[in-house]
Amino acid sequence: MLKIIVAVSLLLLLPVPGRDACAAEFPFGAKLLAPDQDTYETSGEGGRVAGSDHLPSLDEDDAYADQVGRIIADPLEPVNRAFFVINDVILEHAARPLSAGYTFVTPEFMRKGISNFFYNLNFPVRFTNNLLQGKPLAAGVEMSRFIFNTTAGLGGLFNPAEKLETVVPVSDEDTGQTMGVWGIGEGLYLVWPLLGPKTLRDTVGLGGDYLLSPTTWIDDPWQLGLGLSALEVVNNLDQILDMYDQLKLGAVDPYASVRDAYVQNRRAKIRQ
Amino acid sequence: MMPRFTVIAAAVLCLTCLFAAPAAASEARDALENTINQVLTELKKPAMRDPATRQPVLANIERIIKQLFSFDELSMRTVGPKWKSFTPEQKAQFKTAFEDLLRARYLHSMDGYDGEKITYTGETASTKGDKVEIQTVVESDGKAVPVAYRMLKADRWLIYDVIIEGVSLVQNYRSQFQSILDKDDVDTLVRMIRQKTEEIAAGKTGS
Repeated sequence: MLKIIVAVSLLLLLPVPGRDACAAEFPFGAKLLAPDQDTYETSGEGGRVAGSDHLPSLDEDDAYADQVGRIIADPLEPVNRAFFVINDVILEHAARPLSAGYTFVTPEFMRKGISNFFYNLNFPVRFTNNLLQGKPLAAGVEMSRFIFNTTAGLGGLFNPAEKLETVVPVSDEDTGQTMGVWGIGEGLYLVWPLLGPKTLRDTVGLGGDYLLSPTTWIDDPWQLGLGLSALEVVNNLDQILDMYDQLKLGAVDPYASVRDAYVQNRRAKIRQ
Repeated sequence: MMPRFTVIAAAVLCLTCLFAAPAAASEARDALENTINQVLTELKKPAMRDPATRQPVLANIERIIKQLFSFDELSMRTVGPKWKSFTPEQKAQFKTAFEDLLRARYLHSMDGYDGEKITYTGETASTKGDKVEIQTVVESDGKAVPVAYRMLKADRWLIYDVIIEGVSLVQNYRSQFQSILDKDDVDTLVRMIRQKTEEIAAGKTGS
């Protein structure tokens, strides 16, 4: 379930030469992925790449500079800080050696393939949440990508759809974001053992994502579902550790820094 | 005569308004792009590949980047409302300490050019045209990271905030400093910032 924490490869759909040739063989995919007109321009006003919509605008950010930096309600701060320390110990003394060993025996192309596979497999999470957020076109793009990657991408091991332009801006949607779009508040900030930082809303959202993940429903044999989930977590560990290192590197108060970065990043995603 | 003059004056004023913002934006973008290109040129130098010969290049990069940032604005904005209660001496100490921390942090993560590609994806200007946000996407290792720069016009265009994947650097440090200043005084804060800088310099980074 740690997969939800990881921002799985942000899809940047830049126009590439020959995209029409790829898409032409997949009429359904071609319709949404590479239309002849009305193509979404990455350099346009889509806001997908900007990611600063949740911040005060340029006109307002002087006034903002006078406001207090507390970003979210954190009444359980002492408990959260304790779990933050426990998670830090787990990351440094269990996850890091485990990830180092895994990375050592698994070549990069395999790790990339596994990561692509799980990204493709978790398509129902993104598809359903696009629909729930009233983004039928984006849901269509997700469907097209899924079909394209499952076939041309050999069951999702490759991600050829990544390079294709889309009709609308598409970003990875999850249940927590859907709840945000529906106007449900973030609630208080929580740090879960192993799962890490979550708002109350995203904790509930995680349950939704869990139910929408195909691996959840593999019960024959149940060991397969569990094994796949474990592989996904271990395969993603190096990315989690990278992100954590980046945050920790310059942080004077790592707890406050992670809390703030998590909340800001989630708010930016809800605006997309 | 009078009404006509008013009309012309109004027209000129309108035109100025129309053109002010875009002109400001591209001026700022030129400054940003120019600096980024200079840094990329430095990063591509063969001397960067060897830790032994890296120092002079890093010094160059430091000098280039420093010219584009407003450390006054960064300091004021990261501290927030409590900035007014700092003594001039504390302000100066904080500014130096914070600048050193940012420098240590960013120079630490530069160990050579990995073929990062920067795409400029858009820009927004404030109504008055005195501030702009330049949006870019940095691609490296197949990952695309949105990075936006907020700049304001002083004697030249200067950066006062960097927003990476939706996370504002100023806001992130502000929430840290706020949480420290809730319990401790300014001198403790400055001491903690210095300590962190030393940790980075000593290579204690976790990776």
